[in-house]
Amino acid sequence: MLLQFDRLGWWRWVLVGITGLTVVYLLMPILFIAALSFGASQWLIFPPPAWTTRWYGELFADPRWLESAWVSFVIACVVAVLSVVIGLAAAYGLVRGTFRGREALKAFFLTPMILPVVILAVALYALFLRVGLNGTTTGFVIAHLVVALPFAVLTITSALEGFDKAIEDAAILCGASPLEAVVRVTLPGIAHGLFSAAVFSFLASWDEVVLAIFMASPTLQTLPVKIWATLRQDLTPVIAAASTLLIGLTILLMLLVAVIRRGTRS
Amino acid sequence: MTEPYLEIDGIRREFGPVVAVEAVRLTIQRGEFMTFLGPSGSGKSTTLYILAGLDVPTAGDIRLEGRSLLSTPPQHRQIGMVFQRYTLFPHLTVAENVAFPLVVRRRPRAEIDAKVKAMLRLVRLEGFEDRKPAQMSGGQQQRVALARALVYDPPVLLMDEPLSALDKKLREEIQFEIRRIHQETGVTILYVTHDQEEALRLSDRIAVFSKGVIDQVGTGEELYAHPTTRFVAGFIGDSDFLTATVTAAEKGRADLKLGDDVIVRGVPIHGDPGRPGAKASLMLRPERIDVATAPSSAVDGDRAALPATVEDITFLGASIHLAARTAWGEAVAVRLPYGHPAAAGLARGQSIGLGFEPAAAHCFL
Repeated sequence: MLLQFDRLGWWRWVLVGITGLTVVYLLMPILFIAALSFGASQWLIFPPPAWTTRWYGELFADPRWLESAWVSFVIACVVAVLSVVIGLAAAYGLVRGTFRGREALKAFFLTPMILPVVILAVALYALFLRVGLNGTTTGFVIAHLVVALPFAVLTITSALEGFDKAIEDAAILCGASPLEAVVRVTLPGIAHGLFSAAVFSFLASWDEVVLAIFMASPTLQTLPVKIWATLRQDLTPVIAAASTLLIGLTILLMLLVAVIRRGTRS
Repeated sequence: MTEPYLEIDGIRREFGPVVAVEAVRLTIQRGEFMTFLGPSGSGKSTTLYILAGLDVPTAGDIRLEGRSLLSTPPQHRQIGMVFQRYTLFPHLTVAENVAFPLVVRRRPRAEIDAKVKAMLRLVRLEGFEDRKPAQMSGGQQQRVALARALVYDPPVLLMDEPLSALDKKLREEIQFEIRRIHQETGVTILYVTHDQEEALRLSDRIAVFSKGVIDQVGTGEELYAHPTTRFVAGFIGDSDFLTATVTAAEKGRADLKLGDDVIVRGVPIHGDPGRPGAKASLMLRPERIDVATAPSSAVDGDRAALPATVEDITFLGASIHLAARTAWGEAVAVRLPYGHPAAAGLARGQSIGLGFEPAAAHCFL
């Protein structure tokens, strides 16, 4: 190697410093909001004058917060399942197919990642107005599925590419039907990829706010929409508490993915 | 010859404009160990995949005991296969891998347990039941794959270069195991390899593939002693090829002229009977050439002799390799056994005579 970290001398402390600053930069908002959620100040004063769990109490006492969290959770779960099923079908075609235009099709599946979400939101809003899907769970699921699918297609495609087709062939020669070979051998073989796809899809929906604002109705709103709407009315530390819980679940799921990845590698 | 067991009848496989397999025809006896030997791209693996049902021929048929297999999907052909790459199911243990063919056949648990145990004993992997494939060496994984392929008593076992990823020592060890398992189970084996030594070590008969066709089928000794094509002669064992001109030919024997004035009479000729004046090559085995320290182009009795000079001498333990050049400039490799009297006083640049029996040489047009 041209550049070896261990031989950089004092330069490596510069690198360590830059890394440290980056970590702080990324962590600061999270730590800040978590600190505020436990702060006693009504006006979100930082640093907090005293500590309290009062805002969490208020959060859990308000059925509207719980309801929106539940709505978010249900939608995210449905999106995760559908996203994995559709993503698996798409990945199978992309990896195992030999048709022309596979690369172009794959790129197309990933466009929701780079397309501005607002544009997607406006388009879906206009469409859903005509078919009456605005403010419905179905509408939410369809909208979130669009942004979640690229994650599923990407993760499952790479898992399937890493799984030797000869193993599937071996299962067929062992007497398994092609479907049985896929179910008994291929799917367990790419289980970590399917799981990651489910988690990423869940999170893509769980903390999505732009599409959700367009889809929401007064009676049906997700947690991020509820946070946003509340923020516009009044500034209360309950928002910080809700945000902290949102982040908490996200971190938990990411850790789970990391643990499972490590488990399959060893 | 008994009834044909497995028949490959004129198999052809085209991939677009490329003809991978062209009219392969072969009959295999029950219990035979048949090896497909050839360089990569010669069509041997494609033929094997067609037998497995993982590929479909453009034309031709395959029959097992007289019944065509082509309309039977691979999962119902009851043919076992060991692949070149490691194909154990990564999420299952060794015992579960071996049990898999019986599980999908819905056999009773007791039978499965007994068979798995017997198979792991056969491949000498008792005690490895609960290991995962990732915890095993390549050689062990291929032995598990062998057990998995044999557990449901398939009539035919296909092996596609199963040892090519292993190092030489391990390869020889497992070759020995495969031979033993073949003898113990009596299963008919079709084995693909590009390694001639492996083919010679394992097989009852070898089919030599070249450019999508089988050049020759026979026992290792037949192929070595009586190659019918120049390709087979060059592929099996070491060989020297010298350019020659046919001076006379009849009844499968030819008289050849080498260089300007050396005549070799009565060399077996293969294929085309040959006409006087035709260009040909004379093939010699390096170990069938004798060295005389007195240079001579005279024909001594029924032996031929070529005048040559020594270019290099390499001591290789059991044998001594001699790089010689004929008086008219063609390179000839000679292998003398250790202790051969002629090897004693040889030096570079020395003039020698290369002697051989014309009947042990071959002529290809």
